[in-house]
Amino acid sequence: MSHGAAALVLIVCAAGTYLFRGGVILLFADRTFPPVIERALQNVGPAVLAALTVNLAVSGGGGSGVDIVPAEMAALLIAGVVAVWRKNLLWTLAAGMVALWILAAL
Amino acid sequence: MSADPQPVESAADTAGRRYRLDRTALSDSLPLVIPAIPFGFVLGLAITESAMPLWAAWLTSPLIFAGAAQLTMVTIAGSASLWAIISAVLVINSRHVMYSAALAPPFRHQPRWLRWLAPLVMVDQVFALAVLRNDEPPASFRRYYITIGLVFFTVWNLVVPLGMVVGPIIPDSWQLDFAPVVMFAGLTLFAIKRVPAGVAALVGGLVSLAAAGLSDRLGILLGAVAGVIAGAIADQWLATPTPDNTTEQPGAPA
Repeated sequence: MSHGAAALVLIVCAAGTYLFRGGVILLFADRTFPPVIERALQNVGPAVLAALTVNLAVSGGGGSGVDIVPAEMAALLIAGVVAVWRKNLLWTLAAGMVALWILAAL
Repeated sequence: MSADPQPVESAADTAGRRYRLDRTALSDSLPLVIPAIPFGFVLGLAITESAMPLWAAWLTSPLIFAGAAQLTMVTIAGSASLWAIISAVLVINSRHVMYSAALAPPFRHQPRWLRWLAPLVMVDQVFALAVLRNDEPPASFRRYYITIGLVFFTVWNLVVPLGMVVGPIIPDSWQLDFAPVVMFAGLTLFAIKRVPAGVAALVGGLVSLAAAGLSDRLGILLGAVAGVIAGAIADQWLATPTPDNTTEQPGAPA
């Protein structure tokens, strides 16, 4: 990625994020969104995170093509169980990585 | 003098404490800032592996200041086009519109400078804590918000560079490039607090899986859109028959 392209991505994403966070406070302080939109916004996080996790988990090194590694899938499953059980990101990360190391060594 | 119909700032309450950090805010942020530390560290590691120039990847921390979006950007840079990176980041951060809407009422009574600066530190955790203080007097709310904002901004911007320094020393055999995937899996599960959110995640994941072979990481966007639509349908479907599914919780993590 060139320096110019990186600067463009950085600026657009920073400005967009600022507008998302400040838009309503700065412009529409006295209005609320229709309930349908507020509810839909609550589902954006889970939907995009799930899509992202799956895409990163099954794609090959270059980002295109599908490359499913059994040890990684098993490690993710274990991490998922720990995430639901402990509700703690640190435990989740530790469980997933340790599981991957053990499974890869077998 | 402002003719505030809302809680009035009491001089006795604020005198002498105005420029100090809020102790309650400090202790409130502690349990939320500690889990952010390994996340920032992993992001720092990911930055050293990223196809983005180091300076730009590092600047995402002070300028974008949103862990999941930053991690996405530095991870898919190099394997996705510019528009794909930008759309993925903006879709992830679109949830902040909801935070802005929820925090608009207390900010009505805040000075203009704070309204302009506050969005810079409005991460998930800051929102989750601040929204519980919506009814506080303006001066207390201000002190509380500034304190938690500074705590999260400072810790994040110390931990990410730490990961960047340590990253290159860690051997490849540790497979730390897999750490972001584990983080995202955990964040996904934490974000599911209602049935429609679960439907959104399930459909988003399945569509992303079906579209995994597409170039440009298009599967992320397709999965996200399909998931949001499925979640909205599930919401509609569940809302109709029973009135007891109104236990919404503000402040989904991630």
